[in-house]
Amino acid sequence: MAERHTRYAYKEGHAMKRKRKLAGGAKMGFLFALPAAVYMLVFIGYPMIQNLILSFKNVDVFSFAQPQNQKFIGFQNYIELFTSSNSILTKSIINTLIFTVGSIFFQFIIGFGLALLFNKKFPGCSFFRGMTMISWLLPVTVAGLLFKFMFASSGGIINQFLMALNLIDAPMEWLLKPGTAMVAIVIANIWIGIPFNMMLLITGLTTIPADIYESCSLDGANKVQTLFKITIPMIKPAIMSVLTLGFVYTFKVFDLVWVMTKGGPINSTELVSTYAYRLSFEEFQFSKGAAAANVLFLILLVVGIFYIKLINEEEESM
Amino acid sequence: MGKKEKRSNLISFIFGAIVFIIFIFPLYWMVVTSLKTQVEIFEIPTPLWPRNLTLEAFKAQLSASSDTLRGFKNSAIIAIGATLISTVLAIPASYGLARFRFKAKKALILFFLITQMLPSTLVLTSLYIMFSKVGILNTYLAPILADATLGIPFSIIILRTYFLSIPKELDEAAAIDGCSYWKSFFMIMLPIAKPGVIVAAVFSFVYAWGDLIYGITFITDPNMRPITSSIYNYVQQYQTLWNSTMAFGIIAISPVVLIFIFMQKYIVSGLTNGAVKA
Repeated sequence: MAERHTRYAYKEGHAMKRKRKLAGGAKMGFLFALPAAVYMLVFIGYPMIQNLILSFKNVDVFSFAQPQNQKFIGFQNYIELFTSSNSILTKSIINTLIFTVGSIFFQFIIGFGLALLFNKKFPGCSFFRGMTMISWLLPVTVAGLLFKFMFASSGGIINQFLMALNLIDAPMEWLLKPGTAMVAIVIANIWIGIPFNMMLLITGLTTIPADIYESCSLDGANKVQTLFKITIPMIKPAIMSVLTLGFVYTFKVFDLVWVMTKGGPINSTELVSTYAYRLSFEEFQFSKGAAAANVLFLILLVVGIFYIKLINEEEESM
Repeated sequence: MGKKEKRSNLISFIFGAIVFIIFIFPLYWMVVTSLKTQVEIFEIPTPLWPRNLTLEAFKAQLSASSDTLRGFKNSAIIAIGATLISTVLAIPASYGLARFRFKAKKALILFFLITQMLPSTLVLTSLYIMFSKVGILNTYLAPILADATLGIPFSIIILRTYFLSIPKELDEAAAIDGCSYWKSFFMIMLPIAKPGVIVAAVFSFVYAWGDLIYGITFITDPNMRPITSSIYNYVQQYQTLWNSTMAFGIIAISPVVLIFIFMQKYIVSGLTNGAVKA
């Protein structure tokens, strides 16, 4: 944040000089950025447009190799996906919402608690804080594998733990029952996502000047009051960033679920991402898979626009 | 230090330690399980540490006939390839977006920001068709090209904040000395931005190493599969051979854990810079 302020101060002082110098530099800046932009256009932008076109066609395993049989069918793929009896797409959207809201709720609460804890200075603080980061960095496939093992009905530690506490009588088949399978993937995802929430919130906390807390404790405010009256309002931008980014990143999760449940049992953990993948690469209904992926994109787009508006406001208010 | 402060430090330490233990337990469990015998794993209650410590699971994983090492090698090639592409493209782009003012600048930053948020499934089918037309399915090139798209936006965002933090006077001084843009970029900016470049490269590597979806889609030949994609097949095949599965998992995460141990400081700063400042 401080860095931004210096940048702005600098801008005012040197605006004149810089204008002259950068007149020729404008083209250079563009040239520097061009290769990366072209790369992303070729491998992300173009496929996105192709995906959109594909979703309006009828490409499947039969017409894949025969372009002459591929034709435009309008919104038919979308309509079929949404209106077929027992629409799996609708179900997967609901599942994804449950998965996302469930994950973010706990990630945020726990992450916020840990941020408050690790924002203090105490012996071992940076070691403990650093080590909790590893769950965020691990390949998600391995994390999924690990939780699949911990939730296993025989040999799984979670069942043994719950039985030792007399909470359950017999081992549960967590990943084989619809309700508990969702609980299991949410728990695994919470473990992965806490460090992300924690780190961003710690960054927010470090921007609060210490003297505000001092004057607060002089006024006799207790800890809970300080938290709700000072801390939370002061780091509201960081909180909004964490929540919106968290939503976007959680809503598109694929790997974890594919490894742990593959969307099962009976589509109970099917997310939009896993469903889109299944349509395209297990049922080879490429156009339908493209349509499902576009639905996922549309939902993310709405949240993404909200996030971008948010950082623009933040930038302008500085 | 006052008595009260000492006590609050102790309480914080205890909380911190509890959090640490809960967080690290799944990893501890992975290591312990990989060193147990199958019998011990299914014992009730299962021992919390291996009583008959055995390296059999690792031996089996690392034997010549196992696919694990091959998967590891494939992953290394793919992740290094993707990291190279991503870093080489991200360095100049972030420099250009940090140091120059031009019309499309804001739009470009926004573009990279958005590409970072896109789900892989959105481009997967089209990339598959594109790669199949060019004939690079089942080659390393397909996942390398796709994985680089994961690293580029993040690298640009991190590196841009790095370049922004370098005082402008430096390149102005270079310009007065008659340095060209290229020369001042290579001789002055790049050496200063080295820590940022390392963070960007590390993240690109970690992203590419962890990829599942591109690996399982573009590569169907088991001999070419990256290790994270073969995990998926492995689980299907050896469901309950948990010691062996966990040993496999440990081998698969080893590069990431090593990177984490040696570069923790960089990674933490990279994560916060990349995600918050954008």
